Amino acid sequence: MTTVLAPVAGAAIGLSAVPDPVFSQAMVGPGTAIDPRREPVEALAPIDGTIVKLHPHAYVVVGDDGRGVLVHLGIDTVQLKGEGFRLLAAEGDRVRAGQPVVAWDPAVVEAGGRSPVCPVVALDAVRDAVGGIAEGSVNAGDTLFEWS
Amino acid sequence: MAADAEAIIAGLGGADNIIEVEPCITRLRTEVHDASKVNQAALKAAGAHGVMAAGNVVQVVVGPEADTIASDIEDIIG
Repeated sequence: MTTVLAPVAGAAIGLSAVPDPVFSQAMVGPGTAIDPRREPVEALAPIDGTIVKLHPHAYVVVGDDGRGVLVHLGIDTVQLKGEGFRLLAAEGDRVRAGQPVVAWDPAVVEAGGRSPVCPVVALDAVRDAVGGIAEGSVNAGDTLFEWS
Repeated sequence: MAADAEAIIAGLGGADNIIEVEPCITRLRTEVHDASKVNQAALKAAGAHGVMAAGNVVQVVVGPEADTIASDIEDIIG
């Protein structure tokens, strides 16, 4: 069982509400999404593990059991080319769940015309493996879902 | 399952049809000359989780190995 933590505070809205078919159709795995509070925040590592991919707008942490969790900060934010995002860790770093990884401001992303919604995905998991999915208001570091 | 760079090139209509390949964390954003040469079934057989096409922009969803696959494709097509 892997407990996946909310990387940011906000409202857990489910993947189907994400305005991007890759996430809303769970093409890369099940999970949920958080509509973040519009304030500058530090996005957290969702699990203990190694940062195997780190972009300014998205990162993947893989646990020692090989399970990877993707956190994507906003939709189509790759187009921002890192502007408005500040890395607080490096690719290859080992992190603890709850450790800050990227500083950003959802309000700035939204002001730029993009959705700041943050999908959190259990990569390549089967749909039924994810349960206990939080709904509604969550704080950063709260349990977001369980990956059995 | 890692997607196969050679098979993705073929599914996009071959190296000559590809204008640009840009990786995002879950997908390849590609621009092609002729979208009618793109074979979605072949791309899925090559390991893509999904394919989204809008005009000449074809997004191939390959999961978090997108960076690696994009650089493999760039190495092959030069």
